Amino acid sequence: MSYAYLFKYIIIGDTGVGKSCLLLQFTDKRFQPVHDLTIGVEFGARMITIDSKQIKLQIWDTAGQEAFRSITRSYYRGAAGALLVYDITRRETFNHLTTWLDDARQHSNSNMVIMLIGNKSDLESRREVKKEEGEAFAREHGLVFMETSAKTAANVEEAFINTAKEIYEKIQEGVFDINNEANGIKIGPQHSPTNPSLPGAGGSGGSQGSGCC
Amino acid sequence: MEYFRSGLKTVLGAPTPGTQPTGPETVERLVSRVSTSTLLEDRRDACRALKALSKKYRLEVGAQGMDVLRQVLELDCADCEIIGYCLDTLCNITSNEIFEEEGETNINMNVNVGEQFTEMFLKNEKNVAVVLGFLEEYDFRVRWPAVKLLTSLLANKPKEIQDIILVSPMGVSKLMDLLLENREIIRNDALLLLINLTKSNANIQKIVAFENAFDRLFDVIKDEGYTDGGIVVEDCLLLMLNLLKNNTSNINFFKEGSYIQKMSPMFLLPDNIEEIGWSPQKASNMHCVLQLVRTLVSPNNPVQIITACQKTMRNTNLLEALCGILMASGVPADILTETINTVGEVIRGNLTNQEYFANVTAPSNPPRPAIVVLLMSMVNEKQPFQLRCAVLYCFECFLFKNEIGQEQVVQTLLPSAAGATTLTTGQLLCSGIFSADPLSNWFSAVALSHTLLENPAQKEQLLRVLLATNLGAQPVSLLHQCAVYLQHTSKLQSKIGMLMLLAMWMSHCPPAVKIFLTVPGAMAFLTAQTSASEYDNNEELLQGLCAFIMGLCVAFNDNSEKNYSKENLSQLIEKRVSIETYCKKLGEISRHEVYAKAAKQPQIKAKHSSELLLEFEFCKLFKALEGVIIQALGVQRDLSNGLSELSLSEHENALLIQYKELIRDQDKKLHDLQKEIHTMKRENKSLEAQIDELSQTNSQLNDHNTLLKAQLSTGANITSNEPVAAAAPLLAAAPDQGLLDKVNRLESELLEKNEELERLRGDQDNLLTLLTDQDTKLCCFKSKLRELGETIEDSDGNSGESDNES
Ligand SMILES: Nc1nc2c(ncn2[C@@H]2O[C@H](COP(=O)(O)OP(=O)(O)O)[C@@H](O)[C@H]2O)c(=O)[nH]1
Ligand SMILES: [Mg+2]
Repeated sequence: MSYAYLFKYIIIGDTGVGKSCLLLQFTDKRFQPVHDLTIGVEFGARMITIDSKQIKLQIWDTAGQEAFRSITRSYYRGAAGALLVYDITRRETFNHLTTWLDDARQHSNSNMVIMLIGNKSDLESRREVKKEEGEAFAREHGLVFMETSAKTAANVEEAFINTAKEIYEKIQEGVFDINNEANGIKIGPQHSPTNPSLPGAGGSGGSQGSGCC
Repeated sequence: MEYFRSGLKTVLGAPTPGTQPTGPETVERLVSRVSTSTLLEDRRDACRALKALSKKYRLEVGAQGMDVLRQVLELDCADCEIIGYCLDTLCNITSNEIFEEEGETNINMNVNVGEQFTEMFLKNEKNVAVVLGFLEEYDFRVRWPAVKLLTSLLANKPKEIQDIILVSPMGVSKLMDLLLENREIIRNDALLLLINLTKSNANIQKIVAFENAFDRLFDVIKDEGYTDGGIVVEDCLLLMLNLLKNNTSNINFFKEGSYIQKMSPMFLLPDNIEEIGWSPQKASNMHCVLQLVRTLVSPNNPVQIITACQKTMRNTNLLEALCGILMASGVPADILTETINTVGEVIRGNLTNQEYFANVTAPSNPPRPAIVVLLMSMVNEKQPFQLRCAVLYCFECFLFKNEIGQEQVVQTLLPSAAGATTLTTGQLLCSGIFSADPLSNWFSAVALSHTLLENPAQKEQLLRVLLATNLGAQPVSLLHQCAVYLQHTSKLQSKIGMLMLLAMWMSHCPPAVKIFLTVPGAMAFLTAQTSASEYDNNEELLQGLCAFIMGLCVAFNDNSEKNYSKENLSQLIEKRVSIETYCKKLGEISRHEVYAKAAKQPQIKAKHSSELLLEFEFCKLFKALEGVIIQALGVQRDLSNGLSELSLSEHENALLIQYKELIRDQDKKLHDLQKEIHTMKRENKSLEAQIDELSQTNSQLNDHNTLLKAQLSTGANITSNEPVAAAAPLLAAAPDQGLLDKVNRLESELLEKNEELERLRGDQDNLLTLLTDQDTKLCCFKSKLRELGETIEDSDGNSGESDNES
C-alpha cells in the first residue's frame, strides 16, 4: 500500500473524554463501551484519500491522567496534527482545555494543526457545554472545531479527515518543511517526484535525515 | 601555575620522594583551584588535571570534586574544552568498572564506588537534564563524553535514569537525533545507550518508536550492508528487538509502518554463500533478524496481530526467503535451527502460510517435500538435539488449526494410500514411534498426536491404520501396537511419549477407548502403575499419566466392552487403587516441574534430551480433562451407591449435610485466612515504610562513608609521607593532633581538680564534726549556766544577739 504522504497525529485531552474510543471508531469502525485506562500510548493507523491522493494517518492515543502528562509531552514535537478532545457532558474537561493547549503549543512545532473536539454528542440530555462555547473557544485560539460521537460515529471520520485536509493545505502553501521528519510528515516511498502538485517532494523521505544539529 | 605543573608531574610519574605533595593532596588543591580561580584558563587546566587523576584517585576526585564539577557544568557551559574534561571526569568516577590504575590506592575495592557517586550525582535531578542538554552541543569534545556519561549513569541506576529521561522535555528526542550522527563513534555509542535505555520500559520504547527509530535503524542497517554489516547492524537489531518485545502498540506500528517489507532483503542469501561461508558476525546478525521475526509472530501476541504479520510476511516473500534458507546448504546448524523455529511461527495457525509451506520442495534427488526432509532429521539420531526439537515445533505449527494438513498426514498411513515407493510423513512418524531411539519415539509420538488435535475425524481415521508386525502374522492396528509397545519398552521417554499420544487419541473418542481396552494386558499395566507405591526418578510422572489414561477409559467409555464398562472400571479404580490414591497420582502430573515448564509456551524448550517429557498441547488437554475425569468417577460411584441403598434421598440428604458442613468449614477457614492476609498486609506496609526509612539512612551513611574514606585516605597518605606533611598545610591530620593534646591536657586537669575536690570535701567533713562537738559543748555549758541561775536567751531565736555576745 503506497501513499503520497504520511501524517502523524496525537489525541490529547482529559481522561475519560473518549480518546481511545475515537481512535477505535476511526480505525476499526467499532465502539467499545467498556472503559479501560490507556496505559501510556496506544497506536492505530488508517489510509484516507484527500484530493485523490492516498494519505496514511498514524495516530497515537495518549493517556490523559495528570501523572502521564510529562510523558505525553514527548509526542508533541513529532506530530503534524493533534485532536484536543473534551467531553460535552463534563464541564471540567472543557475548563482544562487551556492547560492542554498551552502544553501543546509550548512543546510542539508551530505548524501543528490542532482540532478541537467536543465528544459524546449523542448524550444531548446530559450536555453541560453548549456547542457555541466550543465554537467560541476554537475561534479565540485559532482552532478548527467539531462535535463528535465515538458511539454513533457521527463526525468521527470528518474530524480526522478535516485535520488531514488542513495539514495538506499547509503543505501546498509551503508552510511545512516536509523534509524534516520532526514535523510529523513523511513523503511516501513510491511517490513520483514529477507530480507538480507536491512541492519539494523528491526521493524517498524515509532515508533522509534532518541532520540539523 | 608553574608550581602546580611540577606538582602534577610528580603525581603522574617521576616522583622525587619526600619532597612533593601526594596525589590526594593535589586533588584537594585542584578542586579548590577549580572553585576559586577567576581565570577560565586556570579552571580549565585544573579540570584537565582532575580528569587525569580521576581514575587513580577516583575516590578523592569524586568525594571532593563532585560539587565543583557540577558547578562547572553550569557556569562554564560556554567552553567546550572544560566541559569535556568535566564530563570525562564524571564519567570516570561514576563508571562501574574498576580501573587498573586505582588498584593500589583504592582501599575498599568491594564497595561499588561508581554506583555511590552515581547516586550522589542523581540527588539533584537537574544534573541529568544538564547532561542531556550537552547532547545538543555539536562539539565532539562535549557530545561524545555526554553520551558516555549517560551510559555510565544508566548502567548504575537504570530505573532512575529511565524515569528522569522519560519526563525531561525532549529527552528521548535528543538521544534519537544522535542516530543521525555522521561521526560513527558517537552514533554507535548512542545506539548502545538506547539499547540499555529501552530495556523493559514500554513508555520509553513507544516514544523511541514514535521518534522514527525504525526508519533510522533500517537506514543504518542498509548503509552497513544488511546482515553482512558489522556489529553495528547487530546493535540496531537488538534495539529493534527491545522496542518490539511484548509491546503490542509498537508491533502494531511496525506492521502498519511497512517495516516488515524492509526486513526482507536481510534474508536473501547470495548465490555464492557456500563459497564465502558464514562469518561469526553474519551469523549473529542473522540470529537477531530471526528473533525479530519471531517477536512479531510470537504465539504470546494477540491473535489479530499475529495473523496480520503472518499475512504480510507471506505477501512480501519473507516466508519464501526463510524457506530458502531452510533448504540452502552450508547454513550453520544454530542458524538453521532458529530458521526452522521461525518458519514454524510464521505459519502457525495460518492456513495460507501452512499450505505454502506444504508445497515447498527440497532440492534433493528425488525432490521431496520440505516437511519430509525435516522429519527425516527429526528421527535421525545423528542430528543435533536442538535442531530435532525445532523440527518437531515447526511440524506442530504446521498442523496447528490446520485440518487439511492433519488429514494429509493421516492419509499417508491409510491402506488406500497408493505406492510405497515415496517416503511419506506418516511412514516416517510410524517408524520413528517404534524405532530403537527413545528420543525418536517421543518426537514421533508427539508429532502424531498433533494430527489429532481438536480433530475428531482424524482420531477415527487413524484407527484404521494397520501395521504388519511379523511376516505372515495378522496385521494389528496402530493403536494396538502403541499399547503393546508401551508395556514392552523399558525407556521412560518412550513410555511417556506413547501415553501422551494415547491420551490425545482416546480423549473424546470412545472407539479408540474400546480398542485400547481389548489390548491384552493394557488395563493390568495401567492398574499396576497407578497403584504402585514406590517412586523412582520421574516414575511419579509415568504413574500419573497411567492414571490419566485410566480416567479417560472411564470418561469416554461407551460401555460396548462388557468387562470394561464405565461402572466396572470405576469399581476397579476404587477397589484396586482407591479413590484417594488415584486422585493423588493424577495430581502428580500438574505438580511436576516439567509440567510447569512445558505448559509455558508451545515451543519445545530443553537443554538436554532427558528433559523432554511432557509437551504443551498435552498439558492443555490434561488441564481440560482432569476435572471431567474426577467428575466421571464421582458420578459412577454415587450411582452404584444409590443402587445398593434403597433410600436414595436420605443418602443424598446426608451427603448434603456433609457438604454443607464442609462448606461452612471452608468458609471459616477462608475468613480466617483473609483476616490473616489483612494483618500481614498491614505488617508489610509498616515494614516497607521501615525499609524505606532505613535505606534512606543507609544511603546517607554511604555518602558519609565515601567522604570519610576519602578523608581518611588523604590523612593516611599524609602521615605516611612526613616530609611532605611538614611542608604542606595539614588540613586533615593537624587539627586532630591539636585536639588530642587539648583533651589530654584537660583530662589531667580534671584529675587534679577532682583530687582537690576530694580533699576539700574531707576538710569540710572534719569541720562539720568539729562544729557538732562545739555545739554539744555549748549546749552543756548553757544548761550548766541555767542550773547556776543565769538567764540565757535561746541562741536559735536571734542570731544578732549571739553576734553581740561573741
Ligand atoms: N455515549 C458515549 N460514550 C462515549 C463516547 N466516547 C466514549 N464514551 C465512553 O466514555 C468512556 C471513556 O472513553 P475512553 O475512550 O476510554 O476515554 P479516554 O480516557 O479519553 O481514552 C467509555 O466508557 C466510553 O464508552 C461517545 O461518543 N458517546
Ligand atoms: Mg484511553
